[in-house]
Amino acid sequence: MLSTARMNRILGGRPEEMLARAEPGVSTMALNDAAAAHGLFYPPDPGSRTVSTIGGNVATCAGGLRGLKYGVTRNYVPGLTVVLPTGEIVRTGGRLWKDVAGYDLTRLITGSEGTLGVITEVTVALLPDPSASRTGLAYFDSLTQAGRAVSGILAAGVIPSTLEFLDRSCIDAVEQYAHLGLHPDAGALLLFGDDGDEAAVARSFERITAVCEDSGAIAVQTAGDATESEALLTARRCTLPALSRLGSLTIHEDASVPRPRLAEMVARIDAIAARHRVTMATFGHAGDGNLHPTCVLESAEDTEGIARAEGAFAEVFRTAIDLGGTITGEHGVGAAKLPYLEQRLGKAQMDLIRRIKTAFDPAGILNPGKLGS
Amino acid sequence: MTSDKVSNAGSIFDPTLLSRCISCGFCLPACPTYALTADEASSPRGRINLMRALESGTLPPGDPTLAEQASFCLGCRACEPVCPAGVQYGELLEQWRGFQWTGRGRPMAVRFLIFAAERAWAHQIAGRLRRAAHAPAAGSQHSLMLGCFERTLFPEVSRSALALAPELAVPGNQGCCGALHAHNGEPERGRQLAGQLGARLPGQIVTTSGGCAAHLSSVLGRDRVVELSEYLQNRVTGQVRIGGRQARVALQDSCHLRNGLDVWREPRALLSTVAEYVELASAARCCGAAGTYALVRPRDSRRVLDPKIDEIEAAGIDYVVAVNPGCLRQLRQGLRRRKSAVRALHIAEILRLAAD
Repeated sequence: MLSTARMNRILGGRPEEMLARAEPGVSTMALNDAAAAHGLFYPPDPGSRTVSTIGGNVATCAGGLRGLKYGVTRNYVPGLTVVLPTGEIVRTGGRLWKDVAGYDLTRLITGSEGTLGVITEVTVALLPDPSASRTGLAYFDSLTQAGRAVSGILAAGVIPSTLEFLDRSCIDAVEQYAHLGLHPDAGALLLFGDDGDEAAVARSFERITAVCEDSGAIAVQTAGDATESEALLTARRCTLPALSRLGSLTIHEDASVPRPRLAEMVARIDAIAARHRVTMATFGHAGDGNLHPTCVLESAEDTEGIARAEGAFAEVFRTAIDLGGTITGEHGVGAAKLPYLEQRLGKAQMDLIRRIKTAFDPAGILNPGKLGS
Repeated sequence: MTSDKVSNAGSIFDPTLLSRCISCGFCLPACPTYALTADEASSPRGRINLMRALESGTLPPGDPTLAEQASFCLGCRACEPVCPAGVQYGELLEQWRGFQWTGRGRPMAVRFLIFAAERAWAHQIAGRLRRAAHAPAAGSQHSLMLGCFERTLFPEVSRSALALAPELAVPGNQGCCGALHAHNGEPERGRQLAGQLGARLPGQIVTTSGGCAAHLSSVLGRDRVVELSEYLQNRVTGQVRIGGRQARVALQDSCHLRNGLDVWREPRALLSTVAEYVELASAARCCGAAGTYALVRPRDSRRVLDPKIDEIEAAGIDYVVAVNPGCLRQLRQGLRRRKSAVRALHIAEILRLAAD
C-alpha cells in the first residue's frame, strides 16, 4: 500500500498568477482555505472536500457540486510532478495556459486512477472568489418534473454554479441527519446556487425561480444568508453517508447521461429498480446529467439482495450507454466497473489503453488489476 | 484465509452498530489522534476497520495494533456529530474495550481507578472530610450528584453548585455513576452502577460532570439527567470582575457533553451573562484528559493538550472554564506547568464568583 496522506504541504502560491503548488495529501478544503486568504478559490468541489485530497482528486479527475459552471478537476490542473513506475521523475505541463509541446500527459494522468504514475506535486489553477453567492431550493412532485426544470433553466440561458437533485428517499435521509426542515411530502428536490456579482446572481435567481414555478414546483425557497446556504450544501454533500441510515448496506453508483436525457434516465432507473425488486435512491448533479443511484439493503449478509442489486446496476449502466451516456461520470472505474468498461469504450480503445499502460508501467506494478490491465 | 480465523470472532460487537460505517471519512478531520499522526489506523474509520477485522477473525485478538489503537483512542466521540451515517462510535469503543481490556490486557492505571471507584464508602468519607456539598433529601424534588473523584479532588465544585441551587438534595450515600467502568472495559458494571445511583437519587439528577451526564443519560434516559449549566439556564446573576473590568473567560467543552448530549450552547450562554466570553478555536476539541487517558497515556495526553494551552495563553483571557472535573484537572496541570497567569475554574465556581 502506498499512501501520500502525510505529503500534505502547500508548497507555495502565486496569487498574482492565480496558481498554487501543493503536495498530493493536501485536502481540498485546506487548499481552498489557503486560496481564500488571497481572495481566490479552487473551483472543483467534490462532496467529500473535507477529506478528499488534491492527489486523489487528480488521480480520479474528481467532479463535484460546481461542475456545471466551472468544470471538473482536469480543468484546473496545468501541471504535475509524477514518479513513473520505471523510476524517472517527470514534470508534465507547468504554469502555462498555452503549451502544446508534446502530448498532453497532464490530462492523460488526470483520471488515470493510480495506474500510470505516482503524483507527488500538483500545480492547480485558482479563480477570483466571487463577491456574491446564493443557494435556493425547489420542491417538485416528481423527479421527472425536476428534470424538466433543469432543462428549462439551461434553456433560459442560466448556468448556475450548482444544480443538484435529490429524490424522496434522499430527502428523508438527509432530513434525518441534518434537521433542516425539508418539505416532508415532496417527491424531488432541486438545490440550485449561483455566484458572481450581486446583480448577476439576483438575475439568475429570478429566472431560475420563474422556470421552476413554470415547471410545476410545489415551493421555491432562497437561503436567507451564508450560514443557511452552507447548511443546505453540507446536507447535499452528506447525502450518500446519510442514506446508509436506511439500511445496513449501501451500494453507491455513478452514471452520466447527456443533460436532456436526465429525466428519462431517472424514470428508467425507477423502472429497473422495481423490476429487480430493490430500493434505489437517486441523487446527483442534475446540471451535469450525472446521477448517483444508490441501493440500500437491510442486511449486509443478504447475498440474494446483493445479486439483485448487481443485476439492476448492470441494467442501469447499459441504459446510460443506450442514452448516449457513460458508466461513470466522476467516481471512476476501479475494480467494480472494469467489467463494464468495454461496453462503453469498444475493443479498439480498450487495446489502446492497455498499450498506454504497458508503455508507462511495463512491469505492471502500479494498481494492478485495474485500468489498463 | 478462512483457516486463519480465530474462534472467538463474531461475538464482540453489536453487528448493526458495526455495519453502519460506510468508510466515507467525514470523521477524519474531527479526530484528534488522526490529526497527530495522519495514520489511517488512528482514525475512527481505521479503528472501525480494525474492529471489523477483530470481529471477523481476520486479525487475531492478540494483534498489537488492536491493543494499541483501542488504547490510543481518546474516546472523545468528536466523530459522532460529524458522522452522516449515524455511527455510534462511543458505544462501539465501549464494546471494543470490553473485549480488549479484560484481565491482563487492562492498563494498571485503569485497574487502580476502578478499584478505587468501587469503594463507595471511601468516597463518602472523603466527601465529608473534604467538606463536599451535603444536604439531606427532605422535601427536595431534585438532587445533586457528587462525582466520586470530584469529592476528593475538587470539593469546592459541589459546594458552589449547591450555593447556586440550594433547593437541591445532596444525599451523602452516593457511589460512582459507572462512567469510568463503561469507558474502560466494564460496560455491564457501568450500567449496573448507573442504575443503582439512579435508584438512590430523587428526581432529576443534576451533575457537574459532562462525562457522568452522558453516561447516566445513556442508562437512565435523557429526562432523568441535567447537566449543571442546563439546570442553571436563565437564573445566574452578577458579574466576574478583575481590577475594575469585566473578566475575559473562555470555555473548554466536555467532549461527552457536547458530542454525546449536544449540550454546548448552555454553558456559553451562562458565561456570556457573567463575563466577557471568548470562544477558543479549539473549544470543542478534546483537552486530552479523556477520563483515564491522562493516566494511561500521559505523553499522548500532553501532545493533545499542548496546542490548546498555547491557544489559551495567546487568547488574553483571565479564566478558562471546564464543565467536567477531568478537564479541570487537565487544564490546571497544563497551565501550572507553563506557570501561566490564566486560571482554570469549574463553571460552578465561576458562577458562584459572579454571584458573590
